[in-house]
Amino acid sequence: MKKITFAAFIAFCASIITLLAVDALTPASHAGEANDELPVFTLAEVAEHDTLDSCWMAIRGKVYDFTDYIPEHPTPPAIMEAWCGREATEGMETKGYGRDHTPAAWAMMEPYLIGILAEE
Amino acid sequence: MTVRMAHLCSWLVALLPVVVACFGMDFPSLDRPGAWLNILGRLTGVAALSLLLMAAILSARVPGFDRPFGGLTKLWQTHHQMGAVALLCVLAHPVLLALAAAEVSLSVAVTTLFPPFDHLATWLGWLALIGMVVFLAPSFHFLGEPEYGRWKWLHRLSGPVIVLALIHTFMLSRTMPGYATEMIWTIMAALAVAAVSWRFVISRRAGRLRYRVDAVDRPANNVVELKLLPAGRRQLHYEVGQFVYLVPYDRRLAAGYGEEHPYTLSSSPLEAGLRIAIKDLGDASRAIQHISPDSEVTIEGPYGRFFTDNNPGGELWIAGGIGITPFLARARHLARTGETADIHLVYCVQDEARALFATELAELAETLEGFKLSLHYFYRQGPLTGEFLSAECPDLAQRTAYVCGPLPLNQLAVRIVREAGIPVSRIHTEEFNLI
Repeated sequence: MKKITFAAFIAFCASIITLLAVDALTPASHAGEANDELPVFTLAEVAEHDTLDSCWMAIRGKVYDFTDYIPEHPTPPAIMEAWCGREATEGMETKGYGRDHTPAAWAMMEPYLIGILAEE
Repeated sequence: MTVRMAHLCSWLVALLPVVVACFGMDFPSLDRPGAWLNILGRLTGVAALSLLLMAAILSARVPGFDRPFGGLTKLWQTHHQMGAVALLCVLAHPVLLALAAAEVSLSVAVTTLFPPFDHLATWLGWLALIGMVVFLAPSFHFLGEPEYGRWKWLHRLSGPVIVLALIHTFMLSRTMPGYATEMIWTIMAALAVAAVSWRFVISRRAGRLRYRVDAVDRPANNVVELKLLPAGRRQLHYEVGQFVYLVPYDRRLAAGYGEEHPYTLSSSPLEAGLRIAIKDLGDASRAIQHISPDSEVTIEGPYGRFFTDNNPGGELWIAGGIGITPFLARARHLARTGETADIHLVYCVQDEARALFATELAELAETLEGFKLSLHYFYRQGPLTGEFLSAECPDLAQRTAYVCGPLPLNQLAVRIVREAGIPVSRIHTEEFNLI
């Protein structure tokens, strides 16, 4: 038991250090802040995509197309469908019962970013 | 319920939240390895907290609670194993979640582990993990053999760690259905709080019995046998071979004042007071060799369940050094009750000078019907062997074996008696190597 726990502890430290080192040495992981070039959408435009076949959401001033992601989401599609075509920051921040999504979940949205929400 | 069943039940209860989590979980797109890793990451988190809470519950040390588990030392083995599995789970938990997130991108994996500082839940999780490594490192000898006092002190970190882990879980919890999360963790946390309260608050007031050192005998130059008489109204009721936690309150002691340490009772429950033989094995037990007569001690217990009833084939006792104490207690008890027994005691010691209580045991062997004594000297006869045991006790295979001594002797003795044909169910050991 002593050897196993100690070996696991060393493996844990090695994994975390390796992950951090690879991340620090990969320039691509810090790129992608060029939001200025993204198209601007109004809430009305977002509202046109309110079905599972085309599901856009406005979250914290950005517009995302989650159509391809919905099958991957841990909840049944109906949960996300309710937020399609809408300002969905609240859904992201509360999950419907007051608990925020994890930072990883927030970071996972990035590949689905399609535009900036027009200011009212 | 058998001892094995009791231990199995404690594991099943400890892993119940994992089962509930599995039922409450949606399993999306399991063709993606990331989804599997995420689920495993979440389940290891649930298992770690649950095992940690169960280990805390099992550490309560309520007298009598240990009996279904075959005694407190056996219960601690399960507590220790649960701590080990909890540590393995807690180490795997963030790594698995990060690997799951790495499916999206490397930066998401890093953000999973190290989010912005305002994401309190994750950082509390890190604090709990670091605290757990710190308080468990001595238990698993990360930095060599730990010093008892430091190990015990560091183990108290488990309380804050459990609180941090609970907050972390409540803030992030999404693995189990909401009502189940709250119910399961609240019940387990309440039991853990009750256990810890018993251990550190209630037992210190209600569980400790006041005794006075009536006499100090010296069976060897590094062993004392204390005779204790009740100093309060309450007396300890115990069974032969059980052990207690003793706390000395003698200001003149060089170490160990007010510290609790476990010692086996060497007296018969029929005696007026208690007798406890203590060998100089560490700072506190060295200091207690010079305890003043008339000083006060407290006794907490009794714990343990070494001897079992109903051994039709007779008993084989194998003792090593100070491990003679439960056997001495039983032999003294037999002398008082006048019962006949079929017992063969093999007492293993380095040399004649270290054969503690040898004269008394030889007298008991002469007077007690059915009680035989064989002495084994390491300096003359080498390590204990099967040949020696068979020669001294030809019918050992049909006997029930009781072994108490230092760990290497225990392991050797168990191997020998198993090879001699005694099934595991008829081999009982008492070990005090707690860490």
